[in-house]
Amino acid sequence: MKISKILLLLAMVAGVAFADPIPTEALTQSGLVMRDRQLRDIGLVMRGGRGGFVDIGYTYTPSSEQLQLKSKYGVHDGFAFRHHYGIFGSWALDSVSHLGFLTWFDRVGWDSQDFFFFPHYGDFAHISSSFTWGFSYTNTKYDVTAALGLQHQNLELASHKVYPNESDSLLFYWAHARYKNVSLQASFYRNTFQTIRLSLDLESRSLYGGVSSGYKTFLPNLSATIYRRKTNGDDDNFVRLNWEQNLYEQVLYADVSFDFPDDGFRSAALKFYPVPSRLLGIEASCLRRQERSGAKDLLWGGAIDLFFLRLGYNTVFDYENMFHAKGTLIAEIKVSLGKIGRDHFGRGASQPAPMVTTERKPDLKKILKARAEQQNLGSTSIDAQGNKVIEAKGIRYEKVDGSATQGGN
Amino acid sequence: MKYLRLFLCLVAFSLTACMSHVFTDTTTRLQVENKTDVTILGVDIISEDGKSVYTWIRDAVEPGEKSRVVEEDWVGSFKVRVRFDKWSGIANATYCAKEIDVEVRPKVMVQALAKKSEPNVIITDDYGCSQEGNLHMVYSEATLDFEGGSQHLIVSQDEDGNVAFKLK
Repeated sequence: MKISKILLLLAMVAGVAFADPIPTEALTQSGLVMRDRQLRDIGLVMRGGRGGFVDIGYTYTPSSEQLQLKSKYGVHDGFAFRHHYGIFGSWALDSVSHLGFLTWFDRVGWDSQDFFFFPHYGDFAHISSSFTWGFSYTNTKYDVTAALGLQHQNLELASHKVYPNESDSLLFYWAHARYKNVSLQASFYRNTFQTIRLSLDLESRSLYGGVSSGYKTFLPNLSATIYRRKTNGDDDNFVRLNWEQNLYEQVLYADVSFDFPDDGFRSAALKFYPVPSRLLGIEASCLRRQERSGAKDLLWGGAIDLFFLRLGYNTVFDYENMFHAKGTLIAEIKVSLGKIGRDHFGRGASQPAPMVTTERKPDLKKILKARAEQQNLGSTSIDAQGNKVIEAKGIRYEKVDGSATQGGN
Repeated sequence: MKYLRLFLCLVAFSLTACMSHVFTDTTTRLQVENKTDVTILGVDIISEDGKSVYTWIRDAVEPGEKSRVVEEDWVGSFKVRVRFDKWSGIANATYCAKEIDVEVRPKVMVQALAKKSEPNVIITDDYGCSQEGNLHMVYSEATLDFEGGSQHLIVSQDEDGNVAFKLK
């Protein structure tokens, strides 16, 4: 017990001591990252397209030296933060049609003080948020889902001292269409596309009416995303291919991504979910940062997801969503849970959580007894002759003489 | 026991996300003391490429004087530039450092008197090295760690003729 506490303490100290400051460039790209991650999340939820989903969380980085900011002037003490929620709810129009509403919100950035709702707005702060919302329609008879909505990217504050000018783009719009296990998702700004994603979820998932074992569960989940990118004013679009592969009984997965045409291997992760419902998880990941060459280019990390708490160190997710944070332990306090009918599951799960039914049958005898005592009705007993005798309580007879009761008569 | 856990949770909770500014300083209140025998014209934070400058102390600080206290959001590790009106080691300036990356004007490094350490006083000159009388700026740079709160920067001259910085 003591050794584990010392190790925990050491891990916390090491998490701060070896941390690298986050670059200002990563903060200016946060809008792009947020919008894409929200649409990826929505894509996963639209795989079912009915029921509900909730995902709420915030990162916990207690030290101001944990995620410092690297600007052109030097290294600033402060806090990087990410507050987010995603909520999807639906209601059944009839036995096959489901109408849904979804909102996803992220507020991320860096400030000299940490906060929940009201930032300090320090001289070197960068705070931006992204809000995605929309409606969905799912027909379970034909197994189709269609969704569309808007995305608002709001730059709350970007200090002119260290950040380049950014445009505040409020009107992105997106659409998502699914037929069985094929999905197409696209987002646009005015008349230009931002991302186009084609997903083939070939793996059979019992959550969506498939099987929970057999060769069909070993089919891959593939998605290809075309990202719009500009390099020195020229179009430099690229494609990111994601390949998720069940390795063992839908509890062990490999997740690999490649960038085309230029950069090649992007990241790989090995994920173990003790139960296929993905309410808990352990992952090890490797990211190629394309900053240096050779082995130093690779960033190795791992994470543990304990349903209410996620601890990550150098993982791909933390690197991408916490402004290239590395060398530090990032704790996220969060809840992420989906529900379809009576099934519960985590994000991207293939099987529902095993049902724990605790049926509470009311104990009639106890209730009656309690009620009898409460009302103080009295008790029955049997006398020597076998007759039931009811002793009345609470009724008082008073012996009175005639004159007193007759009164004035 | 139940209440102890609740209490510990509250403590942990209050240490983040709204309460930490009670315990940590997010600004530095800086005062500069001039222990050299020349006047300090100002103190700046400069970027690593030298192209961006943010002036922190605008007062001229006479020898032996202290500046006013100026509060700014600089907490962390930054490159500080202290500007002087002249430097007493200039008469011995024999070292001309043209290799220093300067796009606009060459620099003259003031040679250390005792040659025990690298010179850290820099003079930029509009007309090139070894041209006295055309001084543009006399300054020294150092990277200092500002922990926040009240900080006292003592600028003095060491036995080598260099500028010594001490941040308290």
